Amino acid sequence: MIYDISHVTTYSYEASVGATRCAIRLTPRDCARQRVLSSRIDASPTPESARSSIDFFGNHIVETTIREPHARLRIALYARVEVDRVEPPAPCLTPAWESVSRAAAGSRTLARESPVHWLFPSRQAPLYAPATHYARESFPPGRPVLEGAEELMRRIQRDFAYDPHATHVATPLAEAFDARGGVCQDFAHIMIAGLRGLALPAAYVSGYIRTIPARGQPRLEGADASHAWVAVWCGEPFGWIHLDPTNAMYADENHIVVALGRDYADVSPIDGVIVGAGRQALDVSVDIRAVGDL
Amino acid sequence: MAAEHEALAIPGEEARRLAAWIADYRPIPGVPDELIGPDGAPRPHWTTLLETLAGLGQEGVEQRFAAAARRINDMGVTYRVHGETRERPWPLSRLPLVLNETEWSQIAAGVAQRAELLDQILQDVYGEGRLVAEGALPAAAVAGSPEFIRPMRGVKPVGGRWLRFYAVDIGRGPDGKWWVLGDRAQAPSGAGYAIENRLILARAFPSLYRDMKVRRLAGFFRDFRAALMSAATRSDPRICLMTPGPFSETYSEQVYLARYLGFLLVEGGDLATSEGKLHVRTVAGLKRADVLWRRVDADWLDPLEANAASRLGVPGLFDAIRQGAVAMANMPGAGLVESRALMSFLPALAQRLLGETLRLPNVATWWCGQDAERGEILRDFDNRAFAGAFGDQAEGLEGRPAIGAELDEAQRARLVRAMHTRGMDYVGQEVVKLSTTPAWDGGALTPRPFSLRIFAAATPGGWVVMPGGFCRVSGRRDARAVSMGAGAQSVDVWVIADTAVENATLLPTKNDVPVVRVPGNLPSRAADNLFWMGRYLERAEATLRVVRCLCNRMTETQSNALQGRQPIERCERLLFAWGAAAPTAATHSSATIALDAASNADIYGSARAIAAQAKGAASIVRERLSQDMWQLLVRLETRLDHGAGCATLPEPEILEIVDRALHTLAALSGLMDENFNRVSGWAFIDLGKRIERAINTCRFARQFADDDPTMETLDALLELVDTQITYRARYLAGPALAPALDMAMLDPFNPRSVAFQARRIDEHLAALPALADDGMMESQRRLAVSLRADLEAEDARRLDTGRMLFFEQRLMALANAVSERYFSYASDPAPADKRSKLA
Repeated sequence: MIYDISHVTTYSYEASVGATRCAIRLTPRDCARQRVLSSRIDASPTPESARSSIDFFGNHIVETTIREPHARLRIALYARVEVDRVEPPAPCLTPAWESVSRAAAGSRTLARESPVHWLFPSRQAPLYAPATHYARESFPPGRPVLEGAEELMRRIQRDFAYDPHATHVATPLAEAFDARGGVCQDFAHIMIAGLRGLALPAAYVSGYIRTIPARGQPRLEGADASHAWVAVWCGEPFGWIHLDPTNAMYADENHIVVALGRDYADVSPIDGVIVGAGRQALDVSVDIRAVGDL
Repeated sequence: MAAEHEALAIPGEEARRLAAWIADYRPIPGVPDELIGPDGAPRPHWTTLLETLAGLGQEGVEQRFAAAARRINDMGVTYRVHGETRERPWPLSRLPLVLNETEWSQIAAGVAQRAELLDQILQDVYGEGRLVAEGALPAAAVAGSPEFIRPMRGVKPVGGRWLRFYAVDIGRGPDGKWWVLGDRAQAPSGAGYAIENRLILARAFPSLYRDMKVRRLAGFFRDFRAALMSAATRSDPRICLMTPGPFSETYSEQVYLARYLGFLLVEGGDLATSEGKLHVRTVAGLKRADVLWRRVDADWLDPLEANAASRLGVPGLFDAIRQGAVAMANMPGAGLVESRALMSFLPALAQRLLGETLRLPNVATWWCGQDAERGEILRDFDNRAFAGAFGDQAEGLEGRPAIGAELDEAQRARLVRAMHTRGMDYVGQEVVKLSTTPAWDGGALTPRPFSLRIFAAATPGGWVVMPGGFCRVSGRRDARAVSMGAGAQSVDVWVIADTAVENATLLPTKNDVPVVRVPGNLPSRAADNLFWMGRYLERAEATLRVVRCLCNRMTETQSNALQGRQPIERCERLLFAWGAAAPTAATHSSATIALDAASNADIYGSARAIAAQAKGAASIVRERLSQDMWQLLVRLETRLDHGAGCATLPEPEILEIVDRALHTLAALSGLMDENFNRVSGWAFIDLGKRIERAINTCRFARQFADDDPTMETLDALLELVDTQITYRARYLAGPALAPALDMAMLDPFNPRSVAFQARRIDEHLAALPALADDGMMESQRRLAVSLRADLEAEDARRLDTGRMLFFEQRLMALANAVSERYFSYASDPAPADKRSKLA
């Protein structure tokens, strides 16, 4: 499936701001199941400098500096991405979770690919004993790792309410867990915390999911949204398997990957520092269109 | 200079006292002690010290100790307990810890070896990764550390060092040998306190210090400074000490170190990156920063690549480091070697990397990320200490290490289960008991547990170790760890040389130092705070002058005659307008209003509150102010506090408070004029003072020489601008409007007139650096030039309140222009909002 993505973020400031330094992580990355055919980032006002690089985890970052005073900042990503449909392995064929854990901890490299980076607590996905305890129910001794992970995913979808008002970007994991509610970001963090609590490597995946309008309804532009799910390392040769706890499904050709990190903080689309006081308002509009769709 | 030995009057009594001290001193059984050796007798290198103290007599000792305490106060040595806003005076134990040369040289060699080892480990882990690939170091023992700063992987540090300034906490093990308790590689604190401890004790016991041949600390800092200079890629580099700011627990130490070493003290907001280079924001624009000695933890250094919420860092700093534009002490990520997990691998890594055994062993440690080690530790559960492998937080531990035998069944079960699931988060260790050193407590010597921090600096010739250290003794008899607070004290560490000590100071030895007259450019933040310090001090003075004028009038006016009341009412009106007295006070007596305006710290415009603001601004630039100046700022507050808490006082007493405070302000003024180098720092204090004085004088003139003045109000104006005597000499008749106004506003010879201030302001602005050399006047200068010219050409007979207000407004505009031009640094950078639409 080939998609055209546009993701437009607009900051409006009450008072004009003098300078902005941003790290932009909007450009989708290549991975086993997807190829980026083209992408570009537009910003206005035009940045004085923009430098792109690849971070430790292999994500694209564009660092920009805008010096021109401005009351409105618009950052837009336009990309065309091809996503394959990849069949997940049969869960019962994956190794026992304990041996996956041992293999990860015994890794002999610190390079990007090493599962060892995904074993430890991180800023927004800390270890949380109740989350570990919750996850453990799906991992009796000797169970194949993907069986356990798939069950955990389904339980999260069942036990946690989807509630966009329950949490915000910075809601701590414990709060969302205790409230048994949240959005995709919270579900992903909860699942990650549970898996890491059992010493299984888990990653946060940021991206998009194509929404298919109900029959007879027109497709609404800009109504699509960023999405987040989880990748679990299932040992060699299976590697990383993507699971979406919000929708209780394996990520398929409707899931477009942007970045992988230990949690949201690693892949936050725009991090930045604004010089100036006053309040700001933010508007985000995402549009995902399958090429060939109308 | 006092000489301790003169006091040795009665030798017999001295010997008896010493014998009694020693006899009463009882080390904890099984715990090694610094004073009493393994043979039960005092170690010989303590003898001189104790004999001297005994010779001083009980009272003499207490006197010396009290003098040391006063000096701590005077020097303003403080620390802050985390979460508290007020600073506490530094608790210095009066007795040093004494080490002999033989023992010291073993410690120093061990510390130097360890520093080199840790640096090589960092090189490998962030570089080639051979230790991990070859199985000498498990990847998880590295990746688990929050100080494994991933963006630094593959970065080549300027000068090749990951570690440039290293500290290690050591203690004596049960066998009496020194061992390592913990490593400090992120941003070690304590070295500055060590110098301050030394200055205090050396002054309390000058000849003792000399006679005992105590090794000096200055040489170490000289080497460290030279090493940082040589690390930079430019000659004559700019070295910055990066501080988290005045709310850091050890800010006072950072200020001291910056001043002692001549480094620029900067906060993140003072720095900026562009095109991969690091700059300091100065009043002359952006200037390159070559070396950064950081006291900010890695996670807070760069909001773009590390913690996005950080307000302490510099956006783009990691990239500047990656580009090789700045030498770091230490590199972000050096804190990795602080983790306990690493300790268990050090003996083997020393063999592998250096081909040597560890000279200073560390506490025996087993990382439980390996099944065999974990099994071994759990078998001997009761006799082991358990701790987080990468910090103090881990499931089953209450945020601190625990001893197996001290856990109950439930705790034990929880910890064992957690260690089975995530063993990599734990280490098991030998149980550590801190050894003891004597402290002076209630007139006697008592053993106190201590930990000793030793510092080492990387130089081109290898590691040098500071001959001394930062030692902390616990307030309790039995302790496993010592941190400041909770009754702990710090202790100076005396290394006794076998031969004569070098007389090192920070002075360069050779006579080939180039003469420089304007030392670097002033950072914008420093300029801003100096400017406001000047303004606040002047504002405090103006407020006190109005209070004095009010009190004088109250004393003179016995009757309620209208003419007599007028100046009083106008003084009060000014104080209300300035927020120096609460408006509800309108119904109060004049004395209450006067006292409030001087001493009530709760009223934001009172002289007392303004003095606090002046001190607040000064505290941010404390490394630029002399000790004397700081003491005067403290004294100003104390003097005004004499009236605090009283509802009212008789006028003469208020006058006395005000006069004394004004004298302190005069002393501060004098100190600034006579002792402050006439470089841009001074210019900004003076600019602030002049602008504030000009504005206040306009206000005096409008209040007391308005369209309907009386002889009495004009007299008050002359008093406020300090020209009563001159006026009487020039004019025989009583005060008249035009001459009085001329003196206050226009007289170029009166150092309190507005015209006089305008001229000084213009001169300062002319001398300050311009951003562009296109020969065009910058806007603040334009305003100053025209204001000065207009005041010089003004005729007093034309001056009415409207024109005076016009001048006042132009001065305010000028103040704004100055602040926009020189102080526009990132004082308030806000992180971008991070709400995105999530499904």
